[in-house]
Amino acid sequence: MSLPKETERLVADPAPGITATPHEDNLRYFDVTIQGPDGSPFQSGVFHLELFLPEEYPMAPPKVRFLTKIYHPNIDKLGRICLDILKDKWSPALQIRTVLLSIQALLSAPNPDDPLATDVAKHYKEDEKDAQRVSREWTEKYAMA
Amino acid sequence: MSTELPLFFAGSDDEDDAVERNGGAELDALQPQSPVGLFLTDSDEEDAIQEDENNEAQAALDNQSPLESSDDPDIMLVDRVEMPGSSSVTSMSHPPTPITSSPPPTVDTRMDGSRKRKISHEAAPVAFATAYLGTFMVGNAWSTVRGKGYIKPGDEICVERDVPDEPEAKPSALKSKGKGKASEAKGKQKQLSIATLLKVQQPKVKKKCNGSVVRLTNKRGFEFGRLPQDVASWVSTLLDMDIVDFRGSTMIDCPASLHSGADLIVSLSVYIRASAFRVPSTCLMETPKVMFNEGQESQDEQSLRERKSALLRLFDVVGLRPRRRNAGCRNGKNVEATLRDSDLKQMSQRRGGIARASKPTKIEVVGDGEEIEVEGDEEELSEDQLNTIYNRAQKNDQTMQQMEPAETFTLNLRGYQKQALKWMYSLETGSSDARELTSLHPLWNEYAFPDEPTQGGIIDLTADEKPFYFNPYSGELSLQFPTAERKLGMGKTIMLSALIQTNREPEPAKEENEQPAKRRQLKLNSAFRPADKERSNKAAVKSTLIVAPTSLLSQWSDELTRSSKPGSLTVLVWHGQNRLDLEAALDSDGTADVVITSYGVLASEHAKSEKASRPSPIFQTEWLRVILDEAHHCKSRQSKTARAVYALKARRRWAVTGTPIVNRLEDLFSLLRFLDFTPWSDYSFFRSFITLPFLGRDPKAIEVVQVIMESILLRREKNMLDTDNKPIVDLPPKEVTIAKLEFTLTERKIYDSIYTSAKRNFEDLNARGLLGKNYTHILAMLMRLRRAVLHPSLIQSADKDESIEVDDQVHITSMIKEFVGEGSGVFAEAVLGNLDKSDQVECPLCLDVMDNPMIIPGCIHQCCKDCIVAYIAACEEKSKEVNCPTCSQGPFKESDLLEVVRIKNDSAGADSADESRSNDVTLRKNNFRSSTKLEALLRDLKCLRDQDPCFRAVVFSQFTSFLDLIAKALQREQFAWYRFDGSMNVKKRNEAVTEFKAASRSPKILIVSLKAGGVGLNMDCWWNAATESQAIDRVHRIGQEKTVHVKHFIVDNTIEGRILQIQKRKTALVKEAFRGTGDKDPDSLENLKIMFSDG
Repeated sequence: MSLPKETERLVADPAPGITATPHEDNLRYFDVTIQGPDGSPFQSGVFHLELFLPEEYPMAPPKVRFLTKIYHPNIDKLGRICLDILKDKWSPALQIRTVLLSIQALLSAPNPDDPLATDVAKHYKEDEKDAQRVSREWTEKYAMA
Repeated sequence: MSTELPLFFAGSDDEDDAVERNGGAELDALQPQSPVGLFLTDSDEEDAIQEDENNEAQAALDNQSPLESSDDPDIMLVDRVEMPGSSSVTSMSHPPTPITSSPPPTVDTRMDGSRKRKISHEAAPVAFATAYLGTFMVGNAWSTVRGKGYIKPGDEICVERDVPDEPEAKPSALKSKGKGKASEAKGKQKQLSIATLLKVQQPKVKKKCNGSVVRLTNKRGFEFGRLPQDVASWVSTLLDMDIVDFRGSTMIDCPASLHSGADLIVSLSVYIRASAFRVPSTCLMETPKVMFNEGQESQDEQSLRERKSALLRLFDVVGLRPRRRNAGCRNGKNVEATLRDSDLKQMSQRRGGIARASKPTKIEVVGDGEEIEVEGDEEELSEDQLNTIYNRAQKNDQTMQQMEPAETFTLNLRGYQKQALKWMYSLETGSSDARELTSLHPLWNEYAFPDEPTQGGIIDLTADEKPFYFNPYSGELSLQFPTAERKLGMGKTIMLSALIQTNREPEPAKEENEQPAKRRQLKLNSAFRPADKERSNKAAVKSTLIVAPTSLLSQWSDELTRSSKPGSLTVLVWHGQNRLDLEAALDSDGTADVVITSYGVLASEHAKSEKASRPSPIFQTEWLRVILDEAHHCKSRQSKTARAVYALKARRRWAVTGTPIVNRLEDLFSLLRFLDFTPWSDYSFFRSFITLPFLGRDPKAIEVVQVIMESILLRREKNMLDTDNKPIVDLPPKEVTIAKLEFTLTERKIYDSIYTSAKRNFEDLNARGLLGKNYTHILAMLMRLRRAVLHPSLIQSADKDESIEVDDQVHITSMIKEFVGEGSGVFAEAVLGNLDKSDQVECPLCLDVMDNPMIIPGCIHQCCKDCIVAYIAACEEKSKEVNCPTCSQGPFKESDLLEVVRIKNDSAGADSADESRSNDVTLRKNNFRSSTKLEALLRDLKCLRDQDPCFRAVVFSQFTSFLDLIAKALQREQFAWYRFDGSMNVKKRNEAVTEFKAASRSPKILIVSLKAGGVGLNMDCWWNAATESQAIDRVHRIGQEKTVHVKHFIVDNTIEGRILQIQKRKTALVKEAFRGTGDKDPDSLENLKIMFSDG
């Protein structure tokens, strides 16, 4: 239904710093990259994610996960993302593009008050600078090259 | 002229009801005036005969002259059916020799009589007293006396029955005396035999107790010997029943001196008496109660049976073989072998066995889908059988003659319609050459009278042309070619209209004024009129009564008017509360040529007249012609309608139906009963010779039905070819498609929950064996399921959302005002203002151009309908609030949504579309809950509207409540629609149809309840494919020029699929007619099991 059209647009007109490529054998499965936003500890990093559109999409939100390790209070060790629009705030009017932009925005503005990785969140709360340093280190280590 | 009446009574076109009901009374009334009345007493009036016993001889003498006088014309009129009368030995072919020719027709029974009536309306001019059948030898007769001089070889002997006791003494004496003198004084003997003829019915029962002694006497009347027991057993029956006469028998060899027990060799010459051609017993026909204890063998039936076997023996012994044989029996042996007394009993036993045996298989069969297929195959076979039945009825149709309608008829008839007219006309007027009648009546055999060895009498050797007919099943004999006419079968209003106009029978009166050309008809009239005398002239009218379903009354009236020259045909629709005084209408000398009424009216009039002492005029009137339209309405012989229909009196009866067999073979019976197509109109007869053999899977039964059909059925199918091998009806093609739909999630849930509980219920009942008892309960459950398939709200009794105001249009301008007032109006104004142009707006959910955009009221965001509905459903499933998917504003309900309706304006050019502003765009509240089916229907109709802006569609559903919903949906889509259902009165229906038919450039839709309209778009399936297909065909037939597309909407994986299965089964059933005997249930229960099988 709406899938090919959305995909087509995503590929043809990508959002800055974001790519999403459907798998050839499964159009519901996307390889996604997001560039770390400038001014964030993730700057210059290229983060790989996987995105899967469930059957119910767009009535149900897509499932998105970081493949690249990232030190972020709202993203856990397994790459799962804590983002309201991926859960109860999902609306079928949102799209893959908006989801990915939201994730990119989340990198710019971590929200330690609604944590998923509790230790990272604690770190960010107690010593934000040090936590950002670790984030940068992880970015250099895992998200570059 | 009145003296002639008995002569023609039997052959008259009078109908049986009149005779049945009034026979007794009339008889009583007539007797004092004239002993002629005696001859009206075919059989059931034994009492009357007894009373008059003493007068008999006198009566016979009195009859002499009138009978003689009327004799000749009568015989001359016989055209088709050659009577064997002149072949008989006696002198009766010479008019001066009195009367002997007369008794047969006069006493001719109702069985014979009615049959003849159907053949050709001829009277029954059987004209002989006895006819030679053959001679046989009896080698072991024995002497009872001792001494010489009683008899010597070569002497003539007489064969006599025992002289019975008291009351029979007189007739027997007469008889024996008559026989004794046979060779000397024929004239006298014959006179006397008239008297004995009249007696026949009465003594036979009592005589039985006298055993089977048959005495041989010499010419002086002394008994000298007896026939051996094995011969006497049947000879006695024949004698008792006055079937044969052994006059002219001779002694071949005997000892010169007799002693008790001495062997005698005698040669018996058999003459069949005219009285044999009376029906042995007619009580089968007369007493309706027979229908209800048909299992028992009545006394009459027993005597019938004895008579039958005796005759069979006789024919065997004299070597008489049928010249032509009925379809039922393939060889002579077979006839006898299959017709033994125990036959019926066997049949019924077999039937029981079959019922028992087949039951388990049935259950197995229903077990799963696969096996149902297997049974389907079986039915295929018998489909062929039914086709054979019909084919036979149709085989000569291509070459049938045509006939031009009367001048008052204004329409053009197609070739096949002219043929039909010819056929009907011929049948009514009695010249039955329209379709060569090539088959014998199924149960009759044709025999030729053998030549009689010269013996002093006058021999007329045209004998080979003089057949007689014998029914080896009933023992009946007839001189008439035993076929019958009458049609049931698909016919058209038009054809019948043509018939009504073409064959307006001459006024029934004109008693003394015979015109040769019309003699036959007039004869008929004069024949029955005297019987009606007391009821005055109004009893017989020249009007035609048409009984039709209420929904078709006005169509009949219209068609009749349309097809006739103005003023040439007066039509009265007798229906509704303020029915006119029918009597007055008919009395004033035929003001109404045609009276149209409905089955409902008929039934209620019948009920009324049963209560009231004075019957309704509709039943009192003797109609010229009664036509039953959609005659399957009276298919159940015990229904009120059927009984009312049987009570009608008419000279001509037509039944028109597309489905002579709806469910079971016995549906046919009701029609035959109405048509008075004897003997099949007798229930026990029908049952014995058709239903039971059918159940026994006896192919004979089908052949019997075939022959019945051939003689009375004119069947027209759309795909039949005419003489030029063109299809008789050149209708536009019909395309039938079945659209399979998928439930939405919610609907599926609702349906499944109902289904599961129904199934549980059903299985529970099944396990406890209570299915039969809870039949209606289960049906109710099924109805519920079927409604659930149509629309969930049909099962929610009080659905809160369903309070729909018709005027749910919202004006854009008022919307804009509202938003402007609230302040946040810029966006709103832009959106709403652009509604009409912005048909390129993308749905935020599917990213496609919005199809059927919906506006969320709070924020004026739009989505396409499908998306937003799915979204709402998803939210509800997660029990989340429904907020705007775009801006999360909310919550809102589905019914708050506003639908943007764009009507394509064809009148405006493409470039001026922008100017044609808000006229074409409206908003309406989305307060209508649709369903899968409804949506599919609307989608289809919209699609149609795009393709063909002035299409016509007819939508059917069996549920009027669903029609309500369809109507609302159509209203919302701004379709012009008309409704047609059973709750509307005739006038309204009429209007609806007229408006629907009226030409216009916009699409129109007629929504029809399946039962009322009996037809385009089917929203659900009805159990009976015939009902459904008839409905469809009617739309197809009537005034169609375009291709008809028939679309059934079926929701996948629901009960509807199974109904389709059942329909398939049923269609097969119609075609083969193998099932269903009175017991309603095996079939139905099986259907139910299919319903709940998870195939």
